[in-house]
Amino acid sequence: MAATALAKLLPSRCTVALIESEAIGIIGVGEATLPHIRAFNERLGIVEAEFMAATRATFKLGIEFRDWGRVGDSYIHPFGTFGRGSGEVQFHHYYTRLLRAGVPLPPIEHYSMACSLARANRFGQPARDPQQIASTFGYAYQFDAVAFAPYLRRIAEGLGVRRTEGKVVAVERDAQSGDVTALVLADGRRVEGDLFVDCSGFAALLIGQELAEPFEDWSRWLPADRAVAMPCRTATAVTPYTSAIAMPSGWRWRIPLQHRTGNGYVFASDFLSEGAATDALLAAVEGTPLADPRVLRFKAGRRARSWVNNVVAVGLASGFLEPLESTSLYLVQQAITALIELFPEKRIAPVDRDEFNRLINMEYDRVRDFLILHYHATERDNSPFWTYVRTMPIPDSLAEKMALFRRRGRVVKYREGAFLDASWVSVYLGQRVVPTGADPRAAAPSTDSLVAGLERMRGEIAAAVGAMPAHAAFLADYCPMPAAA
Amino acid sequence: MSDAGRRVTPLDAPITRIAVVGGGIVGWSAAVALRRRVPGVAVTIVATPPPPDALADRIAQTLPSTIGFHDDLGLSEDDAVLRAGGVWRLGSAFEGWAGDLPAYVHAYGPCGQPFGTASFHHHWLRAARAGTAAPFEAHAPAAMLARAGRMPIPPAGIVAEVQAAVMLDVPRYRAMLEAFARHLGVEVRDGEVATVRRRGDDGFVDALLLTDGTVVSADLFVDASGPRATVRGAIDDVREDWQRWLRCDRLVTADGPPERMTALDQVHATPAGWRWRTPTVDRTSHGLCYAGAFLAEADAQEALATAGATAIAPAVAFRQGTRPEPWAHNCVAVGDAATVIEPLDFTNLHLAHSAIDRIVAMLPGRACHPLEIADYNRQAQAEVGRVRDFVLCHYATAQRSEPFWRDLAALPDSLARTLAAFRERGRLPFFEEETFSRDDWLTVLIGQGTMPRRIDPLIETTDAADSDRAMAAYRAAIGQAVSRCPDLDAYFYSQRKRLGR
Repeated sequence: MAATALAKLLPSRCTVALIESEAIGIIGVGEATLPHIRAFNERLGIVEAEFMAATRATFKLGIEFRDWGRVGDSYIHPFGTFGRGSGEVQFHHYYTRLLRAGVPLPPIEHYSMACSLARANRFGQPARDPQQIASTFGYAYQFDAVAFAPYLRRIAEGLGVRRTEGKVVAVERDAQSGDVTALVLADGRRVEGDLFVDCSGFAALLIGQELAEPFEDWSRWLPADRAVAMPCRTATAVTPYTSAIAMPSGWRWRIPLQHRTGNGYVFASDFLSEGAATDALLAAVEGTPLADPRVLRFKAGRRARSWVNNVVAVGLASGFLEPLESTSLYLVQQAITALIELFPEKRIAPVDRDEFNRLINMEYDRVRDFLILHYHATERDNSPFWTYVRTMPIPDSLAEKMALFRRRGRVVKYREGAFLDASWVSVYLGQRVVPTGADPRAAAPSTDSLVAGLERMRGEIAAAVGAMPAHAAFLADYCPMPAAA
Repeated sequence: MSDAGRRVTPLDAPITRIAVVGGGIVGWSAAVALRRRVPGVAVTIVATPPPPDALADRIAQTLPSTIGFHDDLGLSEDDAVLRAGGVWRLGSAFEGWAGDLPAYVHAYGPCGQPFGTASFHHHWLRAARAGTAAPFEAHAPAAMLARAGRMPIPPAGIVAEVQAAVMLDVPRYRAMLEAFARHLGVEVRDGEVATVRRRGDDGFVDALLLTDGTVVSADLFVDASGPRATVRGAIDDVREDWQRWLRCDRLVTADGPPERMTALDQVHATPAGWRWRTPTVDRTSHGLCYAGAFLAEADAQEALATAGATAIAPAVAFRQGTRPEPWAHNCVAVGDAATVIEPLDFTNLHLAHSAIDRIVAMLPGRACHPLEIADYNRQAQAEVGRVRDFVLCHYATAQRSEPFWRDLAALPDSLARTLAAFRERGRLPFFEEETFSRDDWLTVLIGQGTMPRRIDPLIETTDAADSDRAMAAYRAAIGQAVSRCPDLDAYFYSQRKRLGR
């Protein structure tokens, strides 16, 4: 992604050399993404249907969380709003006001176009007319990351990126500045550069091993440090959403692609052995396994700085947050976008580097709080893992956010970041963090008129959902995978 | 979900009674907005006339946000502008701020349109370096309209995003707000606050004793009393002083004979401050904002007389700065009680309106829980800090040699970062709370001759000749659109005629 974006957007500024080793595997086990990827792909000139066919992609309207607040619960975090979002007061204030008044209402997802479409296993492009309820959602993709890399490589090579097969065995640095000057490959070749983008994953060859930039460890809040992954042949409907199912010592993902379903159990090794996790995964998955289970090890956290000297870390080299909210590729994109916007000259200006680090750290920190919320806002007490996360001390920044929501349904406001108001509302309410008060302005309409308005909205949503095709039919028509697959 | 109540804490009762202190346009705006927009609250206003140094109550030029504020109240432009004696304005022309550079216009709306993969201003900066660029403002429909004295009517096409602001007739505007407040059932009390009575246990304001012996009690007190902050000041007087950066501490205002109305006021830099001139309906408004250490009052008045002013008021003194915590306990300061800032860019009433909007949107319960108050103060402080930065940016990038203009103290970190990022490569760092858009910042920076050290590499995907052609085409489109828009004069009087005035 980094090489393609740099070559596409800064063609005359730099020549890009990509060092890639077939010997180093791709972590991606099926990637679930956020809607931001659409703008990124568009900027790279990627044609959606072609990309989706090549990566066996499916559409994604949100993430289903099962068994999180309590065993038996299920809610969807949608890529879209609740209600219509008109007027000054957000929909959830009216909704929770009615709940407190004892009006029996279905879960809030019934007032979300994205959730309703997802539950109905349907999909269609959002409407452009903001008056239509069908305009109130966005979407992302679920795709095969292993197929995405060669797809991008073809584009990148077409843009003049030189790909070098090889493994880095040594790093040469300028004695005075500490800048990296060249990489030495196993076969003795040297690759020189002015700027080095470290996409080496957990190995963090440059930012970690060479520059020893400290890693801020967040595992006290996000104790999951292993995942066991295994794809299966798709046995059930290809859902237009990812599922995250809480498990006794973590959670399990289900990412439906056109040709297979990605599965994995993210767990904390302090609470569960790799063998036991593998057994639990095998017992839980649907469909015929397509490969042996594979264990991944990681630690939650990020580098203190992702850009140090002339090395910019992107992706897992810069930090890791478990895929609970599908943020890995989002964070990659944000880093690449920031790097392009702040692309340095040969002499790197500290002001550019500092701004990059400020933006990237802000992104990580905000995602971090959002992830911790999923673990902490639970009533599960049936395993040591859940007892730990339910009772652990959480960052002050999150404690304040939760307290403000509990008091008055207030979602702490910010403009930038992966997750805005509706995302927070869906997780709070989905995991039983219920406000005790509402925005005073929500007190104005009468209960009857509110209830009638909510009913109308459900009708509108049902009609809009009914007008859209089944997800599988849409895929078959729009972006069928190549016959060979 | 109905059974999920066991995790919740009991909530404090809702606020039902609000007292506003201050009878200037800030106080009346607060009273009207709270009464109108928060269901079920009773509002009392202690309508003490504002002191002369309450700038937000006195400055007649507003930003476009005023119109949005009126919209939220259900006030039409007919009522809030025309019937109240106001007229539209589109921006200011800044003269003499940057050496020999020509005057530049800061008007309200976007500048340029994006094409290719880079923002518009990167195209412009590259052309400027090559010496082929037309003035930056020539790509801003708002600036071209303002220069031509025309209105963005109809608000469609290339002028759709031009935002008009208002030049108020302050006394008539205040009277309009008062009438509206009375109509909405705001209880009006005359007199002044003699004593602020506070609760012993928690320091909350309990009641106000007025000079006439009557008592005003409420759940929440909104202090719009001007810089002395009669109520909020009784709790504490913690203030962040800005004088080391913003040296102006005197203001002389005056009226002069009417001139042909324009949509654009003149803002001249002077040896010890700056001067405005805004022709309005039946008069011309003048003002001189300066530093008392560098200019005597008599000389300030003389300067306005030279500029054509006749009715010249005595100077008022002020000291710029803000309260880091405008909200404490059950008392929130707005207007000059919260922030004193010189009227450069005319942000005074905007900041007051924004604070009022924020009170409406974030109204806590009667207990004013510290978390909710902290959240309010955090947002308020972020907003005010960036407005200060924007005003200060005019001084930080000015090119003048008089002592007043030299040896500025080290800039606040946020502004230093902004200037460093722009001077490096024409980029503006991101901040959460910005009153002024990126194009506003660019207009001032470029207008004052601040240029980046280098051109952003993102621009290189577009050929320079293509950029030039696209910019020229856009300028031509603006020119055509502007020529089809009505003159401010003609439009204003036709609208008044429509209302039978």
